[in-house]
This record gives sequence, C-alpha cells and structure tokens, in this order.
Amino acid sequence: MKLIAYMTDNADLLVFLTEQHIELVLVSVGISAVIGIGLALLTQSTPRLRHGLLSLTGTLLTIPSFALFALMIPLMGLGVAPTIVALAVYGIFPILRNTVTGIEGVDPAVVEAARGLGMSPGRRMRTVVLPLAWPVILNGIRTATIMLVATAAIGAVVHGPGLGQEIFRGLERIGGANAIEEALSGVIGVIFVALVLDLLFIAIAKITALRGLNVR
Amino acid sequence: MSTAAVEEVPAPGTRRSTTWVLPLVVLILLGAVWAYVHSLRMDSIEARSLAAEVVLTALWQHVQLVVASTLLTIAIGVPLGVLLTRPRTRRAGAVVLAAANASQAVPSIGVLVVLAMVFGVGFWMAVVALVLYALLPVLRNTMVGIRQVDPALIDAGRGMGMSPTEVLCTIELPLAVPVMLAGIRVALILNVGVATLAAFTNAGGLGSVISSGISLDRMPVLIVGSALTMALALTVDWLAGLAERVLRPRGI
Amino acid sequence: MSDRPAPSQDAMIFLDGVSKHYPGQAKAAVSELSMEIKRGEFVVLVGPSGCGKTTTLRMINRLVEPTRGRIFIDGKDVTHADVDSLRRGIGYVIQQIGLLPHLTIADNIALVPKMLGMKRTDRRRRAEELLELVGLDPAVHVGRYPKQLSGGQQQRVGVARALAADPPVMLMDEPFGAVDPIVREKLQMEFLRLQASIRKTIVMVTHDIDEALRLGDRIAIFGPGSRLAQFDTPLAILSNPADDFVRDFIGSGAPVRRLSLLKVSDVLASFPSDMPSLANAIEVDAGETVHRALELVLASGAEGIEVGGAGGTSRYLDLQSLLTAAAQPTKVLS
Repeated sequence: MKLIAYMTDNADLLVFLTEQHIELVLVSVGISAVIGIGLALLTQSTPRLRHGLLSLTGTLLTIPSFALFALMIPLMGLGVAPTIVALAVYGIFPILRNTVTGIEGVDPAVVEAARGLGMSPGRRMRTVVLPLAWPVILNGIRTATIMLVATAAIGAVVHGPGLGQEIFRGLERIGGANAIEEALSGVIGVIFVALVLDLLFIAIAKITALRGLNVR
Repeated sequence: MSTAAVEEVPAPGTRRSTTWVLPLVVLILLGAVWAYVHSLRMDSIEARSLAAEVVLTALWQHVQLVVASTLLTIAIGVPLGVLLTRPRTRRAGAVVLAAANASQAVPSIGVLVVLAMVFGVGFWMAVVALVLYALLPVLRNTMVGIRQVDPALIDAGRGMGMSPTEVLCTIELPLAVPVMLAGIRVALILNVGVATLAAFTNAGGLGSVISSGISLDRMPVLIVGSALTMALALTVDWLAGLAERVLRPRGI
Repeated sequence: MSDRPAPSQDAMIFLDGVSKHYPGQAKAAVSELSMEIKRGEFVVLVGPSGCGKTTTLRMINRLVEPTRGRIFIDGKDVTHADVDSLRRGIGYVIQQIGLLPHLTIADNIALVPKMLGMKRTDRRRRAEELLELVGLDPAVHVGRYPKQLSGGQQQRVGVARALAADPPVMLMDEPFGAVDPIVREKLQMEFLRLQASIRKTIVMVTHDIDEALRLGDRIAIFGPGSRLAQFDTPLAILSNPADDFVRDFIGSGAPVRRLSLLKVSDVLASFPSDMPSLANAIEVDAGETVHRALELVLASGAEGIEVGGAGGTSRYLDLQSLLTAAAQPTKVLS
C-alpha cells in the first residue's frame, strides 16, 4: 500500500511530529491543569464566583478552535506559543469542572471527622479532600488531554507544531502526489497519540489509586 | 473543538441559568467589530474582503452548513440510537457505543480533509463530514438517555398493558429527551466549529473570511472573521440552551 | 384436555401447574405450582427472597411467561391470549410505584383508560373520582407532577392508576415497601377499607409476615425452592403451622398475634351459652378482637367481659376462660 510506503519513507519526520504533538499537548494540559485546579481551590468559599467561572470556561469551549487559533496571530504571532495558549484555554473547563465535582463529591462526614481531629483547612484539603477527589480530577485531565490531542491538529493553521502540519500539507497539495498519504498519516498519527496518552492516563490512575478505595 | 468536554452530564451548578449574559456579550462583540471596522482605513484588499456582501454570504453559507448538517445528524442519529437500544440490538449497541467513544480521538480537520480528497470538495461533501463528526454525541446521548430510564417505569408500563411501541413513545423517549437534547446541543456546537474548517474544502462559511485574512496577511480581515465566528457560536449556544429549556418535558 | 383440572365456578385466578425455568439456571424459579384464588379474595404471597413469590405474581399478568402450565383468569385460559389486552384488564402496583414523572397525576391515572379508548372528559372525571377514592383531594392533585407528591401520596396514586380501568383483578408487588413504617401502616389500613368497598380479587407479594397477616384473607407461604409451604387463612396459619419452616417463618409470638385475628364471637362460640354472670365485667362488642377485649379487661381491672346479645341477653366470660380459649387453636377453629 502506498500509505505504508509513505509512512516508512518519512518515518523520521512522522516520529518527530508525533513527539512534538505529544509535547505540545502535555505542556498545554499542564497549564490547563494548574489553572483549572487552582481556580477550583481558590473559589472554595465563593460558590457564586466558581459557578460563574464554570459558565465562562464552558462557554469558551463553544468558540470554534479555528477562530481562537486565528485570533492568536495578531496577539502573539505565529508558532508554538499561540498554539499552546489557545489549547490551554480549551483544556481548563473539563479540569475545573471535574475538580469541583470531585471536591464536592467527598463525603462531608469524612471532612467533618478530619475537622474533629484538629486538622487545619489547608491540611484537610491536602490529606483528605484532594486525595479522595483525585480520581475524578485525573479523569478531567484525561478528558482534556484527549480533546486537545484532536484540537491541536488545527494549530497548524497558525504554524503550530505537531501532526496537524502533515494534514495541512496534504490539504495544500490536494490532488498532488502523496497528498492523501500525508493527510492520512497525520490523522492516523493523531489517533495514535490519543491512544498512547489515554493508556498513559489509565496507568497513572492505576498507580495513584488509593489502596483503601479498591480493596475488597 | 471536540466532543469530550461538553457532552458529559453537567456537574451541579454548570447549567447556565443567566440567559441574558450571552446575548449581551454577543451584542458587545458585534458592536466592537462594527466600531473596529469603521475606525479602520482599509486598503483595497481589506475593503474587498470585508465587503458586506462577502461577509454576509459567508455567514449565510455557515448557517446553511450548520442547519443542514445538524438536521441530518438528528435524522440519522436519533432513529439509529433508538434502534440500537431495542432488546434484539442491545449487543450491537454496546459495540457501536464503544466504537463511537473511540472515534472521539479522530481530529475533525482530518475527517474533512480526507473525505474531501476521496470524494471531492463542496457544500454537500462538507455536510457529510460534519454529520459524520457530529453523529457521535447525538447517537450516544440517545442511547444513554433511553438506557437510563428507570426499569421500574418500563415494568409499570408493560404491566399496565402497553405494547413495546407504546412504552417507547410514552415512557422511554419523553424521559430521554433531556439527555438527547444535550447531545443535539453538543452536535450543534461541534457543527458550528467544524464548519469553520469547511473553508479549506471550498464549502465557504465564515472560515473562508478567517483564512483569507491569514493568507493575505490582513489582520483586520482575520479579526472580523474570527469575531463573527465567535458571535455566531455564542448565539447558537444561547439559542440551543433556550430550546433545551423549552423542549424539556415538565415534571422531570 | 378433559383430564386436566379446570377452575371452579368461583375461581378468579387459577394457576394450573405453572413452572418457570430461566435459561442458564439449574433450578426452576417456580415449579409445578397450582393455586386457586377466589373472586373478591385478597391473597398475600409471602416468603423469603428468592422463593419465587414475585415470579409467581408476574406470571399472572405474564410479565414473566411461564415455561409450563396454564393460567386462567375468570374461567378463561389466558396462557396464550394477547398480553397487552390481558394486562389492561389487570391492575398492577409495584414497590417503585412507577409513576411517569413527565405526566401529571391525572394523566398518570388515565393511562390505561386512554389506551382503552376512553374519551378525554371521561378520563378526567375518572381520575378525579379515583383520587377521591384513595383519599387525595382532586382539586389539589390532578394537575401536579409526581415529584411534587410525598412517597405515600405517590403510592396512593399508584393504586388509583391500577384501579383506573376498574379491573376485576389487582396484582401488587410489595406495594407498601418503599414508604416509612408509619405511613406504611396507614396505607395498609386505608387499603383494607378501600378493599372492603371495591371487593377486587387481589394478589399481593410481600416479605413481611406481619403485613401478610394484617391484610390477607388467605396467605400463601412460599418456602425455599419455590415450594408452597402453606396456603390458608392467617388464623389457621398461626394456629396450625403446616411445618417447621412455616413455624420459623411466622416467628415467635404467634399466640399473641392470633389474639388480634380472633374475634370475641369466635371465642364465645366454644363456650356454652349459660356461663355464670360476673359482677365486675366490662362490656365488649362481639365483633371486637380478643386482643382489644383483653386490653380493656386488664386496663379496667375487671373480672371478665360482658357481651351484649340479641334481645337483651348478655353473655359473660371471665379472664381465665378468655385466655384458655384464645390459646387453644384447634378448639376454636373447629
């Protein structure tokens, strides 16, 4: 098949773009996670602000990614930085929402018991609430990651890094030799990255799982 | 845009309750664009790209793409979802659901580009790509919506002598409506987003304004295109939210 | 055909050797069960979980299709009749109540009448009638949604819905299981009163022997392995448990429980009519339960009871005789 021939011929390039894609997504999700979890923690005592932030970040998600990526050009020019910023914006909502859901889902009796033991609010958060909410938070990060893997492909319109470049190169030369192979290998690469990162998150979830929650 | 984040059952407090905020934001956005365009001294290229006729045509194409693809998505996704929850097809349903979930990882631009390469470009090819991409949330939510109906209600319905079709029409479908509507809303938002990419396959839409801004290196064109796209997306989301509220059966 | 048993004249429900085997399960859920339930009778199926009582109930309206055997309703073999029209003629009440949350109370009650083609205005009137019957104010409740009602109110609507098409037979699967004990007792009493006026043929499933004893005209006690251990009146079951399983199942305190099932008139029947009169007796109605009579005697410190008879003749029974009679099951029953 021509596709396989193309992919083996351009293996170096594809591997490079795949690595770039993974890096791009992980950096963006990292930023999203810091912002999302941070906002959830900072709005502990202001539920209305928290609600507002959830609405806001949820609404940001409805903005077509092409428009957001394009708007980055006048602000930040072309390249890696605008791509990361736009992706990080999209990643906030799922992480913020799951962090809020996770924290609110912790049994109030357990928190109350921790209070009874004389734990300070910060200590309660660190040793009781966050560990118990962690599976839900992690799932939010995973959701954001899978979403960004696909969205990152569009980053190529602002000359962002990653496998989107393959797709757009194919698009530019539509009808030309290897155009379809380029586009397809880009798509396959993106799916592959999503799969790898999904497995990564399953592994993280397994490793970080609290033993007490899973023993029978 | 991807489906993953919006489609799950909303956490408490995420349902947008203030209905006037979004239209206000849209109005401010449009006002800002208008003021911005009128403050510019445009060169001939910009003037041509931002002529009212050009922009409105793009907007109209965009709306057509979204409406056509969303209607088709519903027309295919809902009956298919219902079919896949019938007792005989339950197994197939599980397989389809798993496959549909996995297909989330496929990038929308990839679907569009590869389809264009294989089947050609243009409005209807773009619609096909949009439908393929937006089918998942509608199909999935229809199935999930029907499956989450309390089995006791179905038992009560069967027990009082409803035929399977009557159970479907008076119990399962009405009770699945909220979840189905949420799926349709996600599909709608996805379609607005992916339709911007249809510009790359000669199907027009607001994406063509943005991409001409990029390729001509004219920031005003790009900014106007992006802002209008955002305004359209927010408006559609707002309308979808209103529709969701109106169409939701009372008592649930 | 002719050698197979047929239902008697006054049988409303007749199960003829029904069995249910679920595929992939070694033991039958119900095996070779035969049962006859008379017109207007309130029969309670009771037993530990997994004894097949619910399966038996659900075979009557064929929500569970029997693997073998025949089912008769009102003399007709319905084993292969059209299920939907069969079920429309049988009221069905379940523990989860199963009111449709998106329909108003009136629409919920009118579901079966609607399927049977009743006109809109008639359905409305019927719904109001039934709400009245189950003790809910129609003016307040017709337009409400199920979520706006308490659990007890919801179950009353559930009963009203089952009665909507005036079916001769009602099936009830743990109907009072989902409400708290106080409401449950209230609903039970209300339902007994209702049944006294409508006289439906009712089959009810419960795992609560007290509920069974309180409500049933007859009780079918299922043992493990879907064996019908005893099928008799509450009094007979308490007085003469068929075997150790039944004795264990009704638990301790059977003699005391019997007291609230025995009537004073039952006890009097086993004594000669010329018992000596007592100076210090408390007057009790012949229809009162022995339990109540004892309560009155003990509370007042009287020697015994005085029961007014027809024509001004009173009969007397001292405390000791009352207790002896109540404690001697067979004698009373004969």
